Parts: sequence; C-alpha cells; structure tokens
Amino acid sequence: MTKFVICIGALFTAFNSYADGIQKPNDSSWWSFFSSEAEQVLVLRVAEPFVDLRSGPATGYPVFHVSERGETLTIISRKTDWVNVKDSTGRTGWVSVADVQKMQNLAGSPVMLDEPKFEDFNTHPWEAGLLAGDFDKSSVNSAYVGYWMTDNLSLELWASQVLGEASESKLLSLNIVHQVFPTWRFSPFFTLGAGKIFIKPKATLSNESERNEDTLNVGAGVRYYLSNRYFLRFEVKDYKIFTNRETNEEAIEWKLGLSVFF
Amino acid sequence: METRSERIFLKQILAISLSLSACLSGITYAQERPLIEPDVEPLVINEALIDSENFEIGTFVSTINIEDFESSLVYGARLAYHLSEDIFFEANVGFADAGETSAEQLGQVKILTNSEREYTYYNVNVGYNILPGQSYFARSYTFNTNFYLLMGLGATEFADDNRFTINYGAGYQVLLNDVFAWHVSARQHIYKIDLLGDEKNSINTELSTGISIFF
Repeated sequence: MTKFVICIGALFTAFNSYADGIQKPNDSSWWSFFSSEAEQVLVLRVAEPFVDLRSGPATGYPVFHVSERGETLTIISRKTDWVNVKDSTGRTGWVSVADVQKMQNLAGSPVMLDEPKFEDFNTHPWEAGLLAGDFDKSSVNSAYVGYWMTDNLSLELWASQVLGEASESKLLSLNIVHQVFPTWRFSPFFTLGAGKIFIKPKATLSNESERNEDTLNVGAGVRYYLSNRYFLRFEVKDYKIFTNRETNEEAIEWKLGLSVFF
Repeated sequence: METRSERIFLKQILAISLSLSACLSGITYAQERPLIEPDVEPLVINEALIDSENFEIGTFVSTINIEDFESSLVYGARLAYHLSEDIFFEANVGFADAGETSAEQLGQVKILTNSEREYTYYNVNVGYNILPGQSYFARSYTFNTNFYLLMGLGATEFADDNRFTINYGAGYQVLLNDVFAWHVSARQHIYKIDLLGDEKNSINTELSTGISIFF
C-alpha cells in the first residue's frame, strides 16, 4: 500500500507543477520563485530570411510552418535543444536553439542563449552523478553529490549499494577530492574518504549476522568533460574495512558513470 | 580635322562618364556595406529565463513474469531526463508481489514467506529515440511519437536477496500534447538467483503502460 502511495505522490507532484504552469504561463519553471527574472516575457524577431517551425522538439518531426524575416515570436518553453514559440497569430511550434541564436530582440540587437560550456566546467561549484562498477568482485551502484570549495578541492558525499552473491552491503562515505589540473578537459584527481559499511549477509548463510563497520578509502580517477553540463567520471578506490575480527578487510572498487555540474 | 576633334571630345566624355560611374558605384557600394562593421555585443539570454522542460515524471502499471513465480502486477514510478532530442536517461522503481511456484501449488510446501514474496526493483537506463514520428488518430488528431530503445542496470530485491540486474527493452511514447505523454514498453530484466538450488539467470519480461508529464 505504501508503495502505491509513492506512485500516486509522484503523479500528484507532477500534476501540481502542471497546474502552476497554467496559472502563470510566463513563469512555469519550478525554480522561478528563486528568481524574479523569470517573470519577463521573451519576444524575439526573426532576422534570417526565414525560420522553420516544427511540430515537435526533434529534427524527425515535420516542418509545418515558416516564419519570415521581421516576424516576432514569443518564447514559451524549451526542451533539450528546441524552443517552443508562439507567433502573432497564436500558432505554436518548435524552433531549434541554433535558429534562435540567429534572432534579434525587438530593439534589433543580436541575442545569444547562455548555455553551459567547457569554461563552466571548473567554475560551477556543485556536481552530482551516478556510477556503476565492481567492488571486490561484486556489482556496485553509486550516487554522489559534490561541492567544490576551491578550484582544486571538493567535498563529496557518496552512497553505494554493493550487490554480492553472499551479501548485500550499503556504503556511506564522505570524501575529500583534490583535482590536480582544474582547467584540463581530462582532469585527474585523488581522493581520501571515511565512512561506514552496512553488511547484510544472505539468509542462507545463517552463521553470519548483520554488521556495520568503519571504512577508510583512498583513490584516484579522472573527470572528462563531454558537452553542455555533462562529464564522464571514472575512479578506483581502495577500501580498508575495520572489523572487530582478527584481520581487517580490504576491497578494491572501480566505477564509471556520468555526472553533471550545476 | 573635324572627325579628329570629335574623337578627342568623345574620348574625354567617355573618360569622364566612366570615372563618374565608378565614383557613383563606389558610393552605392559604401551604402550597402560599411567599411567598419559595428561591433555589437550579442544580448545574452540567461538560460533561467526560459522555462526548460527536460524532465518527465510519471507512473506506470505493468505485468511482469517472475521466472518460476507466475505473473504479477507491478505499480511503479518513472523519472526521465532528456539530454538531447535523441538521448535520455530514466530511472524506474517498481513494486510487485510474486505468485507461487508450481511446486507450491501442487504440494502444500511454502518456499517463501509473504514478506519474501515482495518483489521490488529499481533501474537507471539510457534511452535512445530511434524512430521519432507522427501518428494520426480519428482523422483529425495528430500526435508526435517516439519509438525508443532502452538499456540499463539496477537491482532487484526478491526472496530475501538483492541482486544486480540488467534490463533492456523498447518503448513507444505518444506525446498527447507538449506536457502529457503516454508510454507502452516491453523490457527484459535479468538477474542471478539461487533460490531453487543452483544459481541461474532469472529472466523476467515486463510489459507496461503509463503516463508522464514534462516539467
């Protein structure tokens, strides 16, 4: 039943955001109440001989109308690299961002949509990502969020799930990351962290009980800028698990995944 | 003599008219394109000014064939993020209650308790809109559509075990308008299980339908 409630909850949140959009058509972005700028209506003029209006946000959808030079288009919303516009007759269609970059504002100045680019890779402080790989011969899925305190140093919070044949473990750790060359597209880093591991042995192994242990990890990896706000991340970490048995355990982990900065 | 002076005179007229026309054409040329281009800085439009709708949230219902444990109804939620017109990422979470094995139905033995029969999965997939297009309904309605391929990984919790799961499949999305979409999809979940003796691959086929909203 609780699961059903989660699903309904997800739907309700979505409907709510849609309802907001209807009431305030110029301000339907969900972060809009953080910025008063979102209240402005954006109207642009076609400066090229013509611009194609498509029925949907992809090159696969047909061109159903062409707006000529001098016509004005009101910008409604955006999906990936496509902008939904409305012309003076109320017709709506999708124009590519590349075409919008060639339009002018009503005063006749060229406009430029501000897009995340490589220069922003080391200036935006937050990043988050999903990675998957191998933890001591078991599969591991991880998620993290990081904050760059300086160009070189960042603090990251990691949550991982290790799905093994004999046990399932959950790891939480806090890492400090040092990026050696922050301006490089292919940027290597070193990391040091501490955390907890919660190990749940499989039910068939009755002589084992659930336990949680402290861990320390040391690792290295690379961040590789792809485009827009996305980058690849690969890393290898060596975990030391401090047990109350005779010997401590050690595990090598490697992961690959996609991250975004914001 | 007369012809010679005429010739000289004509030559002079020709020379003057040529230089004049050259001058005039020079002037019109200057009017068309100034020698110094004005250096206008483009007006930067902050991305926060445009409402971007790259996220999609929705809910779905499906039937899943849990290998050895009959077919069950799944309730789930889906969150997608569209990276470009072709590529998107989606995360799903689904909940089901597994049925009984043939052995349980025949011989009054219970392999799993009720709580162990709870089947939960999550996955994160990469999707590719391979066939975008349009569909026509009842002569007067046109919908944008997408046929997409999916592949990803996640975990399945079932029978007091939690296993790494890969899944792949395909789906069809009908965009009812710029905000609502309807999906149907078929996907295969594969994970290892050793509940009935030897470890083997459990292959679960899921057929689902759902609605989603862009925001």
